[in-house]
Amino acid sequence: MGPELVIALIAGAALFGVGIYGALSQTNLVMIMMGVELVLAGAMVNMLAFWRYLHPDNPAGQMFVLIIMTVMAIEMSVGFGVAIARFRAKGSVEMEEAAELKG
Amino acid sequence: MMTAQMFFIAFFGLAAVWFGIVVFRTFSMVRSALALLFSQTALGAMFLSMQAEFLGVLQIMMMATEMSIMAIFMVMFMMDPGGLGEMEMTHQKRLSLVTGFVSFVAAVMIAVFVDWGPMANTFPDAAQQTVDLGLELLGRSMLIFEMAGITILTAMIAATAVAIQPAKKVSQ
Amino acid sequence: MNLIAIAILAPLSMALLTMLLRRQPAALALLGAAAGLLASLGLLTDAFNGRGSELILPGLPDMPLRLVATPLTALLSTLVAVVCSLVMVYAVGYMKKDNEKVRFFATLLLFASAMQTLVLAGDWILLLSAWELIGLSSYLLIGFWYSKPGVKTAATRAFLVTRSADLGLYIATFILVTSAGSTDIAATLDTRGGLAVAAGLLLLIAAMGKSAQTPLHDWLQRAMAGPTPVSALLHSATLVAAGAILLIRTAPMLPPETLLVIGIVGGVTTVVTGLMALGESDLKRMLAASTSSQYGLMLVAVGAGVPMAALLHLIAHAAIKSSLFLGAGVFQHSRDSTVLDKLRGIGRDRPKIFSGFVLAALALAGVPPLSGFFSKDAIIAASMNSANIWILLPFALAGTLLTGSYMARALRLLWQGNGKSRSVDGLAWMGAGLAGLVFLAIILGAAFPAVESLLGARLPENSQVQFLPVVLGLSAALCGLALGWFVPVHRLLGPLLPWSRQGFAIAGGFDNLIIRPVFFIARTCEKLERLLYESVLATGRAGLRLGQAVRLNDEQGIDGIIFSFVRCMVNLGGKARTLQSGLIHKELAISIVASAMILVFMLITLLVYQ
Repeated sequence: MGPELVIALIAGAALFGVGIYGALSQTNLVMIMMGVELVLAGAMVNMLAFWRYLHPDNPAGQMFVLIIMTVMAIEMSVGFGVAIARFRAKGSVEMEEAAELKG
Repeated sequence: MMTAQMFFIAFFGLAAVWFGIVVFRTFSMVRSALALLFSQTALGAMFLSMQAEFLGVLQIMMMATEMSIMAIFMVMFMMDPGGLGEMEMTHQKRLSLVTGFVSFVAAVMIAVFVDWGPMANTFPDAAQQTVDLGLELLGRSMLIFEMAGITILTAMIAATAVAIQPAKKVSQ
Repeated sequence: MNLIAIAILAPLSMALLTMLLRRQPAALALLGAAAGLLASLGLLTDAFNGRGSELILPGLPDMPLRLVATPLTALLSTLVAVVCSLVMVYAVGYMKKDNEKVRFFATLLLFASAMQTLVLAGDWILLLSAWELIGLSSYLLIGFWYSKPGVKTAATRAFLVTRSADLGLYIATFILVTSAGSTDIAATLDTRGGLAVAAGLLLLIAAMGKSAQTPLHDWLQRAMAGPTPVSALLHSATLVAAGAILLIRTAPMLPPETLLVIGIVGGVTTVVTGLMALGESDLKRMLAASTSSQYGLMLVAVGAGVPMAALLHLIAHAAIKSSLFLGAGVFQHSRDSTVLDKLRGIGRDRPKIFSGFVLAALALAGVPPLSGFFSKDAIIAASMNSANIWILLPFALAGTLLTGSYMARALRLLWQGNGKSRSVDGLAWMGAGLAGLVFLAIILGAAFPAVESLLGARLPENSQVQFLPVVLGLSAALCGLALGWFVPVHRLLGPLLPWSRQGFAIAGGFDNLIIRPVFFIARTCEKLERLLYESVLATGRAGLRLGQAVRLNDEQGIDGIIFSFVRCMVNLGGKARTLQSGLIHKELAISIVASAMILVFMLITLLVYQ
């Protein structure tokens, strides 16, 4: 029982926290997406640590990490498509101004 | 090699976190994109140090590409990509700080105080990992693989559809 | 056909015929009166021959209606018929120029038949009904010229006063009938004791009303607003006689205490109304006061215990007073007024009428050998022979004195002075009627012994003082005449003159003592009733307001609560809307916080339910 698992988990937690900070505090859509990336990265690290130190024989852990990576990629692609559309419509991607759904 | 692994995990973890923080503290957009890149790379290094070679390499390669594309988008969409104006680009800072901190603390609590059970000492080597992963992918997790594929296709179509300029009506 | 029936039905049927035909009312009236007169004369002759007759009609069970023709009633019936006929003759002339002859003669005939019923009545019920009928006819006749100012109130007042006094008659009838067990008048005259006293006093009250004794004499004064034939017939000879007739008929029953009271009432009336007559400025009103005074004398006679004297005076007075009134009627037509000041010197303008007037006046004063002398003498003798001589005699003498004085004053005022007279239509008729009555006034004195023998009662004879009444009476009469002719009235009455002009009203008279309190009570009751009505309405309104308040409370109160709930919800919704800012970062924050809460919840669950 070494501390590696805990250290990795702490790193994952830190990434998670920074990512949430970023997602909530940034005004720009792209920056928000970066925050979300960091969150997902934290989740990835956690997953891998669990695989490596608890169930290294089970490849399902790696599978999961793969899926998370896929999600990151998908999310970024669609997100950038939306950002383009928004930029085209409104001239900026500042989320402060995006109050059309208010009410 | 426990100690070395522990050191590397700690080091790369710290690097990832530090670069992650830099992403949001810098004024320059390109620099934040690059910082994210470095953060993800540190993550990949962490993967490697945890003997998940395939995933580590995959991570580094993917993130490199993604981050550069992101840098391009940054330059496209940002008001001040160079960050020379030093404009404050945040809102609800206190809330987000508190939320981030709280979630961090919660996760740490869980990590520290939960009894994870006995740690595994043996692990399959890299080649075996890849074989197992492949078999897993095309065996038990076939459905997931397929779903992932369809989802990627859908995402591609969606992104394209959203990003396409609507056909302009030519007024005579 | 029974003579009694003819005497009553002749005038009545003529009245109905007049109302139906509406033509020749005068002729029908004369016909009716004449037929009644013949019937009454027939009854009188039967009475002289000792034959009485009776007519019994079915009435209430055990109480048949009786009409009896005893000597007394036959005599009275004849008197009524004679005066009726002669006044009817006079009225033909008097009403020549009037447009309402039909109504007049019909009512007069109705009165005649009612009066005949009254005098011929043999039981109390018939008497009461007839009593009421003559009151009604009097009202109708006094108010004949109802469009003239003051006439209606006079008629109403007369009716009300006599009607109120009739209450005495009703109660007396009740007492007598229940004590005797039968309504036959003759049977009830056997009542004795305390009941008799009570009944007598109550009968006196009724007589006071009908015969205009004080304090109920005022109505007769006012009744002079009616046509003069009415005054002559009703208010001198017949209707006012009803009171005296009542007392005369029930005289056998009256105990000495009641007789004393009757005598005092009569005496006071004689003096008071005599003084009023002396101070009067209107001829007819003076004659009305004189009527009250003479009936006072009759009551003195009854009080002295000699109803025969009262009866004699009644007969004489009927003829005398009606002739005086008929004369006054002619004067009224000549000068269009009855005020003595306007009638100055009419005597010289109409000598024939005036001579009849003078003869009647002297008869009233008691100058021999006119009829009035004999009747007055009888009264004075009766008072001297009674137990209360020192009460009744002064009254009788004072009455005689006053009679002479006011008649002389009237004669003086009518003879002296000058005035402008008009010609009068129908003078022949009026003269004929007047002449008939004056003739009777003169000669009736000779008939008195026959009357006495008929009725079987003798006047009191006191051998010692047989001439004393004559002397006293004659001296009083002549003294009175002299005073009236020579001394002007202010000297005679002096300080009493204004009071006498007011009718000797005490404490404001009936107006103040009775009418004002009654009206006050009536107004108070009306206010009370209005108050009750208002309070009922107010209760209703209060109920309505309560209902409205409840509704309002329900509407505003409960609805208010409900609507405040609604507003609360809307506000809440409004506040909840702020969550939907549309801003991504806020939505992200919400999602994160919510997820954190869910995780915490799951954790707790996990830990609790291991």
